[in-house]
Amino acid sequence: MALVTGILAIAAGYAAAFLPGGTPPWAPWLLALGIPIALGAIMILGAARGRRGIGPLKYPFAFVVAVLAIGFCAALALPATESALSRLWVGLPARAAIVIYGVGLLPIIVLPVAYALTFEAQTLSAEDVERVRELARENRARSEGRPS
Amino acid sequence: MIGGPTPADLLLQVALPSAARPAVVAVGVVYFAVVAGISVWAARRTRTASDFFVGGKGIGLIALTVASVSVSVSGFAFIGGPGFIYAVGLGAMYIVLPAAVTNVMGAWVLAKRMRLLGEARNLITVPDAIGARYSSRAAQGLAAIAMLVGIVGYMATNALAMGVVIDSIFGVGLGWGIWIGMGVTLAYSASGGILAGIYNDVFQGTLMAIASVLVFLFVLGFGGGLGEISRTILTHDAAFLGPWGKLTPLAALSFFFVFSMGSLGQPQAVHKYYMLRDPLQLKWYPLLKTLGLVLVLLLYFGVGVGVKAFVLSGRLPPLGSPDQATPSLLLNVTPIILAALVFSGVAAATMSAANSFINIGAAIVTHDLPVAFGRRVKDELKWGRATTILIAVAAAVTAQRSGTMVAFLGIFGWGLFASTLVPALAVGLNWQGATRAGAIASILTGLLITLALETAAYLKVFRFPAGVTASAVAMVSSFLVFFLVSWLTRRTAQAAIDPDVRLVMDL
Repeated sequence: MALVTGILAIAAGYAAAFLPGGTPPWAPWLLALGIPIALGAIMILGAARGRRGIGPLKYPFAFVVAVLAIGFCAALALPATESALSRLWVGLPARAAIVIYGVGLLPIIVLPVAYALTFEAQTLSAEDVERVRELARENRARSEGRPS
Repeated sequence: MIGGPTPADLLLQVALPSAARPAVVAVGVVYFAVVAGISVWAARRTRTASDFFVGGKGIGLIALTVASVSVSVSGFAFIGGPGFIYAVGLGAMYIVLPAAVTNVMGAWVLAKRMRLLGEARNLITVPDAIGARYSSRAAQGLAAIAMLVGIVGYMATNALAMGVVIDSIFGVGLGWGIWIGMGVTLAYSASGGILAGIYNDVFQGTLMAIASVLVFLFVLGFGGGLGEISRTILTHDAAFLGPWGKLTPLAALSFFFVFSMGSLGQPQAVHKYYMLRDPLQLKWYPLLKTLGLVLVLLLYFGVGVGVKAFVLSGRLPPLGSPDQATPSLLLNVTPIILAALVFSGVAAATMSAANSFINIGAAIVTHDLPVAFGRRVKDELKWGRATTILIAVAAAVTAQRSGTMVAFLGIFGWGLFASTLVPALAVGLNWQGATRAGAIASILTGLLITLALETAAYLKVFRFPAGVTASAVAMVSSFLVFFLVSWLTRRTAQAAIDPDVRLVMDL
């Protein structure tokens, strides 16, 4: 449902660009919110395991969706004040730093580490692999007409 | 404000200045010699179709990760990308910023399920996975056709890019550059298949990462640090360092959407999931790949921003065109050995991408299309090698038609993969409510809308509003059709999933 909502928001943003009079100012906001929702939703869809859902992954997922949404919305909302006198944040003016370091780097620190730390419990265990291999052996035996 | 780049901006389509200095030629020769050595070794180890198409499913974690980084970037990351930043400012970063999420997203959404499907069914191609998920030869065949159309375009653009780079290094002319580059790639693709491709990718990816890091550090040193570089730019052109650069917000965000969600449908990356020796090694794959990509993309950011500052401060002459950003820096201020490494790195990036697409294309022709028609090719290895030659020659011939037609083919390649494969494959492998009809309708929608809109735009029959691209419209349409048709045919959803596929989806 969240994935459909995100895609619909993005679709509405694009559709608005075709309106007579050019792209309305609210159209980019639909993408700024729709993209994090859609990406978060498809990650949840991939990570969910039946009734167990996404378990502890809800925290890193919420964090990354929030970082993307806040980063995009801040870039849209903050006034353009860049000048030679601007204060720099790790070498970049504030709005650029939010995008490059926030949207571009923060998820790198959180998501792959969360993936690795929860891998056996949430993604794949040796028992899971063995179950699939066992079923494959049974299927092969059945197709070759011999007892498994 | 600018709505977005033209096709020629995104691809390595323009002539580069001649870099044919002795050091550059020498490093180029050493590069090709190493590629030849790896290929001979790999050819001796390739004995079956599984070896040829998926490396016998026996590739280790580090090799697969570096190879995957290598095929994820093209010459665009080294030449066109920095030039694009130089032209439009930080808005161009929205093409590469999705790398922060795409690798781990791919791991959660696709890696585990595709690798386990490979275990359960001995699958070797992306359309194989679609066919297994929906128990549908039609869906598999349609996906294969869509991928083949995209590969034709991608191969032609990569062949042309190879020609441009080899001409720049050796001064042999564009035509010979295309044939030499494609000939070398073909030699290792046909003899050693994906095994030669993977280990050449490891070498090429390592070369690209080293070159990228060294150039980034050089730019920071030459410019007095990122702060000084930013001050110079802010003094002359503050909008360049705005959060969207000189793009409209819609255009920049559109890049982020297409290059994040669309990454789930790029077969050159997705296909690699089958190859990992031990599925449990997937644990570290996203972390290592993301770190590798960050290293390779340092040049993209560093050169784009650095050259802008150096030109504004008069330390570099004004550029003839944005694509000259990297060559101008390399040939005017960096040590020549660094220039040599980068030019070989660009050749490596284009050859790596070409090899991967040749292999996937050959698998489609000799495996997926016959399966879709209920047949099997008797000797897939032999026919795979033969098809490899045909695809490479066709790409080289198409690339000779240099110009916007080739750029056009390359642009719709990416969009076509995204719009035809993402809903049916990425969502379908994770959502049991997806139906065969939904998948087929979605693949058809992506194929037809991409072809129609890109052709209309190419022929100038139709002009998109600023920030809207055919790829984005096609992908969104394909998603919506996928959900709508799956909902309309939802009664058939559960019955169409085989027990072993259901187990893989449940895990």
